[in-house]
Amino acid sequence: MTTEHAAAERRAVERIVLDAFGALTGRRSEPLRYAMMDDTPVGVLGLAAGEKGLRHVTFVKGEDDFIELLLAEHGHLPVLRSAVLDDVRRALDRYFAGRRLEFDLKVDLSDLPHFHRRVLDATVRIPAGEVATYAQVARRAGSPRASRAAGNALHNNPVAIVVPCHRVLRTDGSLGGYGGGLPIKKWLLEHEGARPRTL
Amino acid sequence: MTPADSSAQVAHRIAFLLAKHGDELARHIRRMVRDDDAAQDILQDTMIRAHHALSRLAAGSNERAWLYRIATNASLNHIRARTREREALRRHAAERETAVELHADARRERDEATRVALWAQVARLPARQRLALTLRIVDELDYEEIARRVGGSAATARANVYQATRKLRRGVHAL
Repeated sequence: MTTEHAAAERRAVERIVLDAFGALTGRRSEPLRYAMMDDTPVGVLGLAAGEKGLRHVTFVKGEDDFIELLLAEHGHLPVLRSAVLDDVRRALDRYFAGRRLEFDLKVDLSDLPHFHRRVLDATVRIPAGEVATYAQVARRAGSPRASRAAGNALHNNPVAIVVPCHRVLRTDGSLGGYGGGLPIKKWLLEHEGARPRTL
Repeated sequence: MTPADSSAQVAHRIAFLLAKHGDELARHIRRMVRDDDAAQDILQDTMIRAHHALSRLAAGSNERAWLYRIATNASLNHIRARTREREALRRHAAERETAVELHADARRERDEATRVALWAQVARLPARQRLALTLRIVDELDYEEIARRVGGSAATARANVYQATRKLRRGVHAL
């Protein structure tokens, strides 16, 4: 099967699934496509993207939990497993292999509150191998006194690793928190060659 | 699943199944039936059946294998129904064709009967008239030539042919 054939088949298949979603569940908008990465050095990752970009890189127990999370968080969207996320998967593979720590992926944070988006935009600009504090990120997001709110935004970062919230630490250099668990935060920072005081 | 399940719960359960298995099932069905509209109907049908069936399925059973089985059966039913329909259409067409052929046969037979009856009447014509007519119509001779062969004048030959055609015309109308 040629690439064009495969692409045409994928489109036709998606149309069939999306029609079923519309008819049987009332979910009719642009689909959210997902894929699983089952054995990364940091455990199981759920990936999901919409038309405008990557919306989830999430630490999950497994596929079923991730589907439930997507259905709950996006009550109006059809959700379907798709090979379209192979690009994201490859970029993450390169990251875990240490071949390339930067991501050129389009990320869609448009669903988030404005301040959260600004905090995450500031976080994306922290290069691999470096770290910042919650206070610094809050300042770069335009609200110097909102470091607690910045911490909250980072804790709710839907696109882990690609939006590197693990690079944000407490002012005293301690790790702070992490959605995926502190051992993972520590692993990611060591993997990137960052040397925070408490590592 | 119980009858008390709200439609929202049913929709959620189907959304889950579609999210997890919809893509591969749609691909499977589409490859079997080779028709997008039919595949769409079959996937929706599969989901509705699966949602009923899986509610009775013991925990730990292979949900995916179940879905595949339901989708495969639904696709095979569709293919069988389509084959039957094509078969019926083909038979219908064959019957129509036979009817047309019978019709043509009937007409040929009728024409044949007319021809036989006509020649029977030709045979009953007086010898001179019959001979003049045959030479005029079959051999396409002119009256001078007919007169030379049969004897008599060209005018007599013309009269004989005229009488013969008049009798035959009357005879054909009576057929």
